Amino acid sequence: MSAILKVSHVTRRFAGLVAVNDVSFTLGKGEILGVIGPNGAGKTTLVSLISGTLSPSEGDIFFEGSSIARLPAFRRARLGIGRTFQIMRPFPGLSVLDNVAVGALFGHGAGESELAKAREKALAQLDFVGLGKFAAQRAEELGGPNRKRLELAKALAMQPKVLLCDEVMAGLNLVEIDEVIEVLRKIRKSGISILVIEHVIKAIKSLSDRLVVLHHGDKIADGPTDAVLSNSEVIEAYLGRRRS
Amino acid sequence: MSAFRIGLAIVAVAALAALPLYGSDVVIQFGINTLLLAVLAQGWNIIGGYAGYASFGNSAFYGLGSYGVGIAMVQWGLPFPVGMIFGVVLAVVFAFCLGIPVLRLRGHYFAIATLALAQVMSAIVSNVSLAGQNIGLVLPPLNNDRLFYELSLGLLVIATLTIFWLTRSRFGFGLIAIRENEEGAAVMGVNTTLYKVLAFALSGVFTALAGGIHAYWITFLDPESAFDISLNVKMIIMAVFGGPGTVFGPVVGAFALSAVSEVLSSEATNVAGLFFGVVVVAAVVLMPRGIADVIRRFRTSGWHYFIENLRAHRI
Amino acid sequence: MDLLAQVLINGVLLGGLYAVMALGLALVWGVLNIVNLAHGAFIMLGAYLAWHLYTYLGIDPFLGLPLTAIVMFCVGYALQRGLLNLIVRAPMFNTLLITFGLEVVLTYLAQLAFSADFRTINPPYAGNSIALGPLVVPLARLMAFGVAAALTVGMWLFLLRTTLGRAIRATAQNLVAARLYGVAPRHLYAVTFGIGIGLAGAAGSLYGTVSQINPYIGATLTAKCFAIAIIGGLDNPLGVLVGGLVLGIIESLTVLYIGATYDDVASFGVLVLVLIVRPTGLLGKTA
Repeated sequence: MSAILKVSHVTRRFAGLVAVNDVSFTLGKGEILGVIGPNGAGKTTLVSLISGTLSPSEGDIFFEGSSIARLPAFRRARLGIGRTFQIMRPFPGLSVLDNVAVGALFGHGAGESELAKAREKALAQLDFVGLGKFAAQRAEELGGPNRKRLELAKALAMQPKVLLCDEVMAGLNLVEIDEVIEVLRKIRKSGISILVIEHVIKAIKSLSDRLVVLHHGDKIADGPTDAVLSNSEVIEAYLGRRRS
Repeated sequence: MSAFRIGLAIVAVAALAALPLYGSDVVIQFGINTLLLAVLAQGWNIIGGYAGYASFGNSAFYGLGSYGVGIAMVQWGLPFPVGMIFGVVLAVVFAFCLGIPVLRLRGHYFAIATLALAQVMSAIVSNVSLAGQNIGLVLPPLNNDRLFYELSLGLLVIATLTIFWLTRSRFGFGLIAIRENEEGAAVMGVNTTLYKVLAFALSGVFTALAGGIHAYWITFLDPESAFDISLNVKMIIMAVFGGPGTVFGPVVGAFALSAVSEVLSSEATNVAGLFFGVVVVAAVVLMPRGIADVIRRFRTSGWHYFIENLRAHRI
Repeated sequence: MDLLAQVLINGVLLGGLYAVMALGLALVWGVLNIVNLAHGAFIMLGAYLAWHLYTYLGIDPFLGLPLTAIVMFCVGYALQRGLLNLIVRAPMFNTLLITFGLEVVLTYLAQLAFSADFRTINPPYAGNSIALGPLVVPLARLMAFGVAAALTVGMWLFLLRTTLGRAIRATAQNLVAARLYGVAPRHLYAVTFGIGIGLAGAAGSLYGTVSQINPYIGATLTAKCFAIAIIGGLDNPLGVLVGGLVLGIIESLTVLYIGATYDDVASFGVLVLVLIVRPTGLLGKTA
């Protein structure tokens, strides 16, 4: 499987703190890669580094073979990298439809130039994630689970090649989690490679092909899902050392 | 935008255009002032209302437009339209050169930076001999208030149409996205730096044009009046109270506040200024979201609207 | 060389005065997040108050400083409690607009009450100066500087060491938590703003001894104070002292080397540069 995204020895420091330390891994084309780790492991920082909100202190990131670490966020978006935010921030003054339309207007390939066409595409994405009937509502009126779907729809409207999902299942009940898993599988089927940051191990287990585990900024495991989850170092990171 | 509203707008413009035919000289002068203020409010609307960057320094553009016309006509003997273009060029150059560093700031830092820039421009110009330094310039007189009136009205119409186009264009959507969530806009592909600077420049263009018209109309120009700081806050107040980020809001705000100001001005000039301040204070407390919001919510909340505002914002 | 030294002394003395002018603004802004566009107008009022105390009651402006400060404190307290507390939780933008409205009102009231004539406060020692070798140190300015430094250090100690000072900082950082600890926010906000205005009044007293006053000086003074507060940084009262000194010295040097009319260009130019390069100010925390 060829790599569509390659993170190479990336380090990010904030004043005294090393948030991400010499992390390297690849995301294969059509793959769903899970990124897990206890709180504060550096997962969201990693996503921000890939999407362009932050730039690495050291190291490089390759998208489809070309280096993107020096590119500003909007350029990476136009190349085909989409992301959802852990703390969902829709454009509050806009309708749900228009929120998604922004993605269609500006996304991958510099998007649509016509508002009407963009809105059509937006509606299609809303239907895809199951929010079609909320199109005319103001975005701030949506409830929690629906906001997550809106985040996905916004990112999808950009027609990304890679989707970075930051804790898209946080706060959902079991039924809602299964629904999101279904949507993510649909997304992968449509040809998009996904990097999923998650805390809900059950969901990650059924969704990901491979896992990368971060702990205090270091990568401590990288491999097929089942193997990683039985790795003792990983278990220690989450649960602490076993007393024998 | 419903057909009704469009029809209403056309009728309003026609009525305004016909004003010089039946209005007295005083009314026409009031009209010119008000129309120009409305242009300023609309100009501010682009950067402050749509992009969400509250500039407190648009008076810099106003001054540049004024001096553009002044220098072109007085020092170089060029006709008025050329002067206007010169003023616009100055404004655009200013917006690009200084906009880029300053637009990296957020919130009140941006506001203060623009305020400081306006002060700097004013101070620099008062030292430039080409601009007549502190004494200023006297332009060739043109005694045709009606012409200035129609020019001002035309400019306002163009400004409003531009805002209307904004609400339907990719550029406008980008600006709104920047306003609502700039980081989110960037990761969705909006070139935030470019768009902000373009908005700033566009805002500057209209402001400069208004300044140019004003300069020629008054035929006199000095740094203090051209870079008048109080204009900054006036245009903001008019835009904010009329309804920022809307097409007609700033126009309504400008007309309303001018009318109030003018009505009281007939009593005594001092008291009028005083009352303007009191009105501003009262309006900020009671209707912080502007007239547009009052109209929208009054139907449901009635007088409670004002009490709700108070309760929401006090400690 | 002597000329340079003289200019530097002038700059430092001016800087001290600038610092105390901006101190109240920085306090209210940094702590309450209230950007007071009327600050200069309160300095103007303080100056007029001191002038009246001196002219009609013969009270020396330096001795009468505490009185001026207390009166202005009461004015500030009432204003915050009665008016500004109503918009504390509104977007910051609203405080800009409302304080602008206040500035307009205060300026017009001053114009009505005091007429537009220029006035100064001229105690008999005002013209004296101390000679330091070839250098001349105007007495009034020196005394103003002394008071300014004392007030600034005093403010810093107050905020850091006293219970009230800590309560003010706590409320500023977290209103809800402060409430849970028994702080009465309305009162506290009013006290803080009162202190800010009291400081403005004191600054006005000092200003009146070294410069002319009229009802319209408010706007320019506010702009200057902004520059000082930002250059120095809003986190630390000592930053205002630094900002004031920096601005005072830069202005004096500009007047000497570039021209007397360029002082505004210099001060606002520096402000723009500081904002672009380091918005948190020279002493502010790094991002």
